[in-house]
Amino acid sequence: MTGGDILAILQGAVVTVTLSLTGILIGLPIGLSLAVLRWADVPVVARIVTVYVSILRATPLVTLLLLLFFALPNIGIAIGPISAAILALVMNTAAFNCEVWRASLMNFPRDQYEAAQSVGMGAGLRFRRIVLPQIVRSSLPGLVNEMSLLIKVTPVLAVVGVVDITRAAVRIGAETYDPLPPFLVAVALYAPIVFVLVSLQRWIERRQAMAEAAA
Amino acid sequence: MADGSKVLDVAGVSKRFGDLEVLSDISFQVAKGETVCVLGPSGSGKSTLLRCINWLERPDAGQIYLTGTEIGVTGAGIVMSDRELSRLRTRIGMVFQHFALWPHLTVLQNLMEAPIQVQKRPSAEVRDEALALLAKVGLSDKRDAFPAKLSGGQKQRVGIARALAMRPDLLLFDEPTSALDPELVGEVLVVMRELAHEGMTMVVVTHEMGFARDAATRILFLDRGRVVETAPPERFFSAPETERARQFIQRYAGHVANGGCRT
Repeated sequence: MTGGDILAILQGAVVTVTLSLTGILIGLPIGLSLAVLRWADVPVVARIVTVYVSILRATPLVTLLLLLFFALPNIGIAIGPISAAILALVMNTAAFNCEVWRASLMNFPRDQYEAAQSVGMGAGLRFRRIVLPQIVRSSLPGLVNEMSLLIKVTPVLAVVGVVDITRAAVRIGAETYDPLPPFLVAVALYAPIVFVLVSLQRWIERRQAMAEAAA
Repeated sequence: MADGSKVLDVAGVSKRFGDLEVLSDISFQVAKGETVCVLGPSGSGKSTLLRCINWLERPDAGQIYLTGTEIGVTGAGIVMSDRELSRLRTRIGMVFQHFALWPHLTVLQNLMEAPIQVQKRPSAEVRDEALALLAKVGLSDKRDAFPAKLSGGQKQRVGIARALAMRPDLLLFDEPTSALDPELVGEVLVVMRELAHEGMTMVVVTHEMGFARDAATRILFLDRGRVVETAPPERFFSAPETERARQFIQRYAGHVANGGCRT
């Protein structure tokens, strides 16, 4: 395995991180929005969200991706492999995030919400100032779990030609007839990516705990 | 029907949950500075009545006026929007049985949150007033603590201070001492008595007969969703007019005699 090969895998790592991050950053607020729509029981829309979440949670990511990549052009929507990959990741992770957010919302103490109503907070203020800061905290472990799953599922994006860490390693192994070194490098790359995410979670949790202990 | 000279005017309010009629045709008025204690056996609709006053529960029938302004329904007879309802609710403070403090905010932040966010008052002024309120309820040293670090009695005193921070015209208490250990009830009642003496207009749902007897200006006795009797406390406790009130008082008689311990 040459230096060029390692560079190729690192390029794959850039693709993996970029696609994962994009999927996470777009999927997180969409998941929250879907959860709020269901929680608020918005007529019709809440039903649609329920159906969407059920279908998406039951659809394998790779199947969804193939559907988007090969079927959308058939109905006149041109889509590249990267766009299809991001779209599939977002659609998938938003559905799972929705359920994490929703669980926190359903457990939110009713009297705290009523206390906010009783001091005249409107729906927007109640959500932003009272509900959101607390559900972010209770949802964090579930959300980080879903994010790390998303990162580890990115190798399936290779089916539409995206060259991520794993795809790069497969290529090098096929060229050199020595698959062990590239795959060891690949495995070694996923761990730090996920580790950064988990460290971030720990840091946020520790900061909150310290703020409370100081009081 | 609306009598603007009264802080609160409840006119013919009814509420049912499914087949259960919780409130039927409740009417009463509260003048400025009055402390009305709502008494009655559990399940008589006391809490529901209180929650209907600020529309946390929507009444099925009847009207509620706050200094002459109808709550929940606009002049055109349409149910108010969240925004319109919120504006009226700023004038009605509520103290909850289980405190309902916001656990992610410190004690001082709990007090300052709504005056700043809702009333848009300057934060320096709100802070000074909040600190004064904490001093009043005896919790100056807890201003930077989170609610989880407080005892039940302390939490409820913060709950009262939070409601007062909005400078409300009317204060509603929903069984404020029912969730407290017996030895912590006193410290909350002290604060409530002080408010009553200062002329705060209050409606108090309670089982504290001692408090009702010596702090209330009037007793409203509820049974099975109806106002069975309404009288000044001296008369209510010594010469109740109805059999139901007599039975109720008898059951609490021992407690009243020894200065109003909780039940």
